Amino acid sequence: MSGIYFTTMAVLVLAGFYLSSRRAVGVSREASAGSLHSLPVYHGLYTAALVFVPMLLVFAVGAPLLDRIANSAALAAFPSSLATDELHRGATLRDVYNLAANQYSGAPSLELQNAAETLKSTLSLGRWTIFGLGVALGLAGFALGFTSIDKQFRARNRFERFVLIVLFACATVAILTTVGIVFSVLYETIRFFFDPSLKGRPTVTDFLFGTEWNPQAALRADQGDIKTAFGFVPLLTGTLLITLIAILVAGPLGLFSAIYLSEYATPRIRAFAKPILEILAGIPTVVLGFFAALTVAPIIRGWGHHVGLDIASESALAAGVVMGMMIIPFISSLSDDVINAVPQSLRDGAYALGATKSETIRNVILPAALPGIVSAFMLAISRAIGETMIVVMAAGLAANLTFNPLDAVTTITVQIKTILVGDQEFDSAKTLAAFALGFVLFFVTLVLNVIALAIVRRYREQYD
Amino acid sequence: MDMSTVEHAMLTPSATSAPASGTKVTARACNVYYGEKHALKDVSVDIPERSITAFIGPSGCGKSTFLRCINRMNDTIASCRVTGKIEIDGQDIYDPALDVVQLRARVGMVFQKPNPFPKSIYENVAYGPRIHGIAKSKSDLDEVVISSLEKAGLLKEVKDRLNDSGTGLSGGQQQRLCIARAIAVSPEVILMDEPCSALDPIATAKVEELMDELKANYTIIIVTHSMQQAARVSQRTAFFHLGNLVEVGDTRQIFTNPKEQRTQDYITGRFG
Amino acid sequence: MTDISMDIARPEPKFRLDLTSDAARARIRSRYRAETRFKAYGIAALTVTALFLAVLMFDILRNGLPAFWQHSLLLDVPVAADIVDPAGKREAGAIKGADYFPLMRNALNAAIPGIESRSASKQLTRVLSVGAPDRLRDMLVADPSLIGKTIKVPLLLSDDADLYYKGAGTGIDDRAGRGTATPSGRTGEITVLTSSNDFAEELQNIKLRLKSVADTISRDAGRIERSGPDQAQRVASMRAEVANLANRYQQPGNAEALDSKVPSVLVAINGGLVKATRLDASGITGDVLLPLKSAEEAKPGTWKVVHYSTPESDRKVTDQEVAFLERLREAGAVDRHFNWRFFTTGDSREPELAGIRGALTGTALTLLVTLLLCLPIGVMAAVYLEEFAPKNRWTDVVEVNINNLAAVPSIVFGLLGLAVFLNFFGLPRSAPLVGGLVLALLVLPTIIIAARAALKAVPPSIKEAALGVGASHQQAVFHHVLPLAMPGIMTGTIIGMAHALGETAPLLMIGMVAFIVDVPTAFTDAATVLPVQIYLWSDLPEPAFQSKTAAAIVVLLAFLFLMNGAAIWLRKKFERRW
Repeated sequence: MSGIYFTTMAVLVLAGFYLSSRRAVGVSREASAGSLHSLPVYHGLYTAALVFVPMLLVFAVGAPLLDRIANSAALAAFPSSLATDELHRGATLRDVYNLAANQYSGAPSLELQNAAETLKSTLSLGRWTIFGLGVALGLAGFALGFTSIDKQFRARNRFERFVLIVLFACATVAILTTVGIVFSVLYETIRFFFDPSLKGRPTVTDFLFGTEWNPQAALRADQGDIKTAFGFVPLLTGTLLITLIAILVAGPLGLFSAIYLSEYATPRIRAFAKPILEILAGIPTVVLGFFAALTVAPIIRGWGHHVGLDIASESALAAGVVMGMMIIPFISSLSDDVINAVPQSLRDGAYALGATKSETIRNVILPAALPGIVSAFMLAISRAIGETMIVVMAAGLAANLTFNPLDAVTTITVQIKTILVGDQEFDSAKTLAAFALGFVLFFVTLVLNVIALAIVRRYREQYD
Repeated sequence: MDMSTVEHAMLTPSATSAPASGTKVTARACNVYYGEKHALKDVSVDIPERSITAFIGPSGCGKSTFLRCINRMNDTIASCRVTGKIEIDGQDIYDPALDVVQLRARVGMVFQKPNPFPKSIYENVAYGPRIHGIAKSKSDLDEVVISSLEKAGLLKEVKDRLNDSGTGLSGGQQQRLCIARAIAVSPEVILMDEPCSALDPIATAKVEELMDELKANYTIIIVTHSMQQAARVSQRTAFFHLGNLVEVGDTRQIFTNPKEQRTQDYITGRFG
Repeated sequence: MTDISMDIARPEPKFRLDLTSDAARARIRSRYRAETRFKAYGIAALTVTALFLAVLMFDILRNGLPAFWQHSLLLDVPVAADIVDPAGKREAGAIKGADYFPLMRNALNAAIPGIESRSASKQLTRVLSVGAPDRLRDMLVADPSLIGKTIKVPLLLSDDADLYYKGAGTGIDDRAGRGTATPSGRTGEITVLTSSNDFAEELQNIKLRLKSVADTISRDAGRIERSGPDQAQRVASMRAEVANLANRYQQPGNAEALDSKVPSVLVAINGGLVKATRLDASGITGDVLLPLKSAEEAKPGTWKVVHYSTPESDRKVTDQEVAFLERLREAGAVDRHFNWRFFTTGDSREPELAGIRGALTGTALTLLVTLLLCLPIGVMAAVYLEEFAPKNRWTDVVEVNINNLAAVPSIVFGLLGLAVFLNFFGLPRSAPLVGGLVLALLVLPTIIIAARAALKAVPPSIKEAALGVGASHQQAVFHHVLPLAMPGIMTGTIIGMAHALGETAPLLMIGMVAFIVDVPTAFTDAATVLPVQIYLWSDLPEPAFQSKTAAAIVVLLAFLFLMNGAAIWLRKKFERRW
């Protein structure tokens, strides 16, 4: 169906372009005064756009709409009780579709057969309607474009206005993405806290200040002895603990690397060291997670065993150290930028007083670059908080409220992943809890980013 | 420049009994190259102690380049190469065993654009004394800072806000702060690279006045674009052109009776 | 200037620059020490970072490279017609559906004859993969005339056997027997007695080990006792255990039983192999792993004492399997070959059968969707923002928004995909289409930022020249500015796509984590991608999957290096200084 539609569309668009340009060429040769305002190609493009846009719109609106209509029509054949039971409804719908496609194994019930018939007829009617409507509008557009060809007609201006609208639409995709993110997490979060029909939902206070996190129990009613709890505090402490370890690793390493590269290194060392940092930056986090879980964690555990410490196999330390390695290039490249932005005149001033290089760096360059470095650290923290794969693979699931780096802790991202991967119902408090966590994550990282980017911008302006 | 060498030849500060007319800085056959470019050609000059010597000449003539050789600021430019000999009090400053950090403590510099550190006024001035261990105590340091600001003629304007940021001062004040910063280390030579080019006439007058006072204690070398300024402040003047030192002599003689035609042309405004 | 005025003007300064006193020299030395130290910190930081990268790469390669090779048994398989095609019609369907295991078993039994016990023959078939007959089946379907003949076919080994040949088994050493050894039988449980004390050394080793075990338990007991009185009972039982062990190791002559926690001791005699279960200085009692040719006594030097240095409980293959595998190796039946299967099959629960074809296809489909969406949209958005957008608040908002979007955690994009694409629009779960959509949104900011930078780098004079000859603004941009910015845009796009290639978290949210055996063929098929496949395999307990994971990482990193290399090449080739 969609194949035929898009083929027809392509044919009409090409035909519109070709015929209109041809006609424009013809018009330009006519004896009447003046020459063509726009090149023939613009007349062609104008007509093509007039065909393309309505046809695409018809399909984009029509196809999903038809799906909904067909589904409800098919389900109308079943008792109304089905409408409330989402799980069962989905299964039934699959059966109907399979039957309609002659892929149903076993003997279908009468209801099912009726539903399949309804589905088939609705779909076929709907598809033809969409096709007819699309082709009609496309032809109308074609006619409009074709007939307006004239020496005075400003096809180029019209088409350029159309292009401008398309460009603008593309630029708004980024905005729409943000809006989409905000709406999807905010909507589910509000449901999580305030939807009266939701069983086991916590209050905002419980969530923000609760010290116990146990979303699993909400899954089944017969697991009465396990208390459901949506206390956010252990996740927060776990996330902060791992982030802290990561920053303690990456902060000094990244900063000193940046200082060395920008102030001391010869071009040859730079040519060697920069790619190392770039390669490290390009390593997917799933690889680092594998390395953390399989190599770093056992090593740390072995060391601990050696000195008589009992270290959890999913210790915060292992995840934190590897996450620190992940953000070293991040901190070092951002710091490198801000250190390079410090004007040479300040360095000269210090050298001319007889300061050594390290004195110049410590007493003049770093204080001058401080805002930029602070924002680099903030961006790095935001990155660490939002990082998922390393902690999913190397940190634990147990929501321990602890600041001991040798224990296993869990993080916000680990819990989102754990809750949402696998089977889920969209109406359970557990699933919605993941969106609430996502909201917190988005909000915290957004605040960090906005502040950091604002600092960087002001810092740049200061030395421009 | 090898900073990691711990043992350096120590510079001997000039004997205070040296005659006022003694030579402080001597350059012989000094050449500077920036990569392929030959920026300074065979310059030889003697600069007398406790006086102001002005370097004049059109842009790109090598006068700033030569100035930066005297405290080895050119070391910070990777592609720069210096040959020949520059001596301060008879000691070769390009001797590999010489410690450039100590050299710069003895040869202070003020730059074209005021470049106060992004710190308080007090910290700006205190920085040099602190790293060179000139003041032994907090009260000594206070004294050094106050006296340097006073010598730089800035104390009156800033004494109530020593803890404010140095970057918040006006351009002229910033430049005098940089001069105070330079003299706080009590250098023997002060190099000034067009110190007034970014300043308005009133600030310029103040800085010139200051230089005149400082010349009693310091050997000052100033690079300037303005012939009037050279004539006003300096006792001796050197004219550079296309990397060559064309002529050097008493300021009055250079401006009234130059020996070289090129100097004459430049002074009378035929080029430059 | 007079001398008098000089003296007034020049009072001796109170604070002088002091560079020559001892204190000054010491201060300068300490300043230079600080300088050296500071520089060393920088070098150390870079070294640690480089070292980390080196260890990471080495670790991945060490784990992953062996998985690119695989071992098979090259055996003569008699293809019995009554098993493969009992109906005799030579139909492809029947041949495909036949049970090949009897054939495999027969071939193995022919290679190692004389295995009688059920458990031993079960272990013998366990060295082969469940996928071992695949190759044979394909050969027979292609050429039914082979039925009834005996053909040499490579039979795929199981993951454990494969790992054994890759060196994950045990060290083996042996020494010739000094005395004359007398076996009590050919099969089953037998004793082997020697005329000299051939096993004294083994016995002593066992006693030493017992002593060290006893010491450890004793130490632990002491620690538990010190930590509190509440575990007195446990301490008492530990103490009893220690006494028991002491009793054993203090009597050097006593026979000792061997268990799976100590290195295995075996006797190779008369063409067979006996595993000791109990030994004293002059003999062993044990199970025959490989049948002896005869029960005659063996002269000194004609029989051997063999050790498997890794205890049986610490490895995945039993002593019996080691004996089989070593025998097969001696027979020259083991064939090592490149693991093409890794690239030609989808996922599997059996490590030796699992491949990344499915994941690679899924990745290709997903990235195709991503590229088709984000390249045009990103470039057009950049063109709008850089060239046509009015400088107003709205444009500022878009700009700040794009910068922030680039720093939003990727998992949040997964939530967006789940809530909007799956639940709101009802698109299929686990589909490359949805994965591509999510990744497109994820890398869009990167591409817009890169494209804007590339457009900004084109000097305005080019555009002005075009406008000067009467081109419209759009003609100037699309005919002149955009083509000149294209190399920069492509570089940014490749880097963005490399980023998308390594992305895992958002794809987990939209269900691309299912176990999918089939290779996807359409944008709406259930699929997984390479990074997710890595994540899935890394979670599995089999050691062979650890190796597969590392191998998949090697492939992923190879692609990433290739893409980044292409980006660098592009940048170098088209770099232009205006």
